[in-house]
Amino acid sequence: MSDRHEHAHLPDTVLRVKALESLLVEKGLVDPAALDTLIETYEHKVGPRNGSRVVARAWSDPDFKQRLLRNASAAIAELGFTGRQGEDMVVLENSEKVHNMVVCTLCSCYPWPVLGLPPVWYKSAPYRARAVIDPRGVLKEFGVELPETTEIRVWDSTAEVRYLVLPMRPRDSEGMDEEALAELVTRDSMIGTGLPLSPSQVPSSK
Amino acid sequence: MRVLRASDVGKVLLKGGPARVDTQVPAKFKPGDEVVTRNMSPEGHTRLPRYARGRRGVVKRHHGVFIFPDTHAANGDKNPQNLYSVCFTARELWGEPASEIDKVNIDLWDDYLDRA
Repeated sequence: MSDRHEHAHLPDTVLRVKALESLLVEKGLVDPAALDTLIETYEHKVGPRNGSRVVARAWSDPDFKQRLLRNASAAIAELGFTGRQGEDMVVLENSEKVHNMVVCTLCSCYPWPVLGLPPVWYKSAPYRARAVIDPRGVLKEFGVELPETTEIRVWDSTAEVRYLVLPMRPRDSEGMDEEALAELVTRDSMIGTGLPLSPSQVPSSK
Repeated sequence: MRVLRASDVGKVLLKGGPARVDTQVPAKFKPGDEVVTRNMSPEGHTRLPRYARGRRGVVKRHHGVFIFPDTHAANGDKNPQNLYSVCFTARELWGEPASEIDKVNIDLWDDYLDRA
């Protein structure tokens, strides 16, 4: 069976990527081992667990939180999360009055060192289009309903500044240590499309 | 042509690709200033979203000096400019049906803005 037949069931985009990849490798422009290392990095090493550690530290250490809000890149670097797509970080603090939510209407800009690579919905046209015009409707679809009196502040990442939301520390989380707090922090709560878990939603956290 | 080797991936990711420029360029605006975005329709790359052209907003933060993507994409000219976070009310962008209190903050360069 020819190669073409074997791949016939793959979607067009996958086929095109495969064709492009084999061509680049053949011409010696891409090292397949480097590709594997890149994929391995974002599959296993860099992801939202990094961000949840930043948030948990901010919840338990007021001085760190001040540094984080003043100069996010430097404060996040204290935890070792630096590099590509996190060069210029800004942290947005949620409160009863203001709920922050991040989008990139132009493409898919996202703070890689703290959140990893963006989820598919974040890159999708419907999220990008609707987050700015109907943030409350989008939040509702994510299961989040905020009081009418809470201002929703959407941040469109049109430049190279990358935004991370600092969600409110859940009630009933007093006395929890940093490690347990980190378990409450979800990826979506750091994008602003979700809220952190309450301790009762994480059975082992108490 | 430089090819990225597996052994360099970690180093390259860590180094990043900073767009911040270490040049002093006088800032045209400061936090609190009222601005209006230019209404333009360039053929090439721009980071001023269409939904925010010709709209009034308030400068909230000054991020510093960054490469200007419009010229950088067109001909490699970094054309460093000040970058701000500009706050628009939902009503200014979307009209009456929008929430009275919601806002959209957009990162915008000097060349996209005029004093309101």
